[in-house]
Amino acid sequence: MPVYVDISRCIGCRSCEVACQRVHGGKGHVNVHMAGDHASVPIFCHHCEEATCTMACFTGALYKDGERTAFDVEKCTGCGLCRLACPFGVVGTDKLAHKCDLCVGRETPTCILTCPANALSTDFELASRRARARAAMAVARGR
Amino acid sequence: MIKVDASKCLGCLSCSNVCPSQNITRLETSEKRSIHWKKCKEECDLCVEFCPAKALALVPFDEASEEPTVAFDLVPCKICCGRYATEPMLRRIESILPLNLQKDSTGLAWIWVCPACRRNIEADRATKQMVLERSRKRP
Repeated sequence: MPVYVDISRCIGCRSCEVACQRVHGGKGHVNVHMAGDHASVPIFCHHCEEATCTMACFTGALYKDGERTAFDVEKCTGCGLCRLACPFGVVGTDKLAHKCDLCVGRETPTCILTCPANALSTDFELASRRARARAAMAVARGR
Repeated sequence: MIKVDASKCLGCLSCSNVCPSQNITRLETSEKRSIHWKKCKEECDLCVEFCPAKALALVPFDEASEEPTVAFDLVPCKICCGRYATEPMLRRIESILPLNLQKDSTGLAWIWVCPACRRNIEADRATKQMVLERSRKRP
């Protein structure tokens, strides 16, 4: 259940960044990138199936918990191997590692609740359903 | 006292992070990282236990021996040339990860690219995909 992004909806307001920092004591795990004038792209942990960060972690602080790539701060030694093993550069190390935990303990990740443009969701199908709806609308309008 | 096998050390600073008495000090500039082990008389082996490379060992205190220092040149990112990690750390990641995960869909060996550039690449890829979809919608 990672966070899926519909980039065509993202308005680049960085609300998700702020919300993430608020929930995680100042250490946020979302980076909104501005791709020139074309788009803004929030970069999230993908919670990879074959998570390379968990393979690199030698103490077992990072582990797979169902679909989630979870993190146990008690076991972390701050070696930084996970940061270097993440293909998307979304594991941070600031003495200790920190990464997206999908707001464990909350029903819905706070970034999703905060996004004013409804660009984020935990529903993989949502973005493609929207795309299909837009295509159908275009056909119906005869364009 | 701690004995260091410099050939095994990754330069990850794990030992320095776990040391309860700050006997392992680090010095990091934008180009170099060096780690220095002070001679300690403690019989504590936390750093030995938490060394990912098993480079450390607890040995009896010896007044005559020198305090070990290990220094690393940080590796420059293939894209932005900013230095971001020690070579042994990156080599270790190369040896741990399965080969099919070490290159992305464009064949880029991402391990040798710094985390900030990895995020930029991901953002560019997603943007290109979206722009393409947009242009399909409005031919």
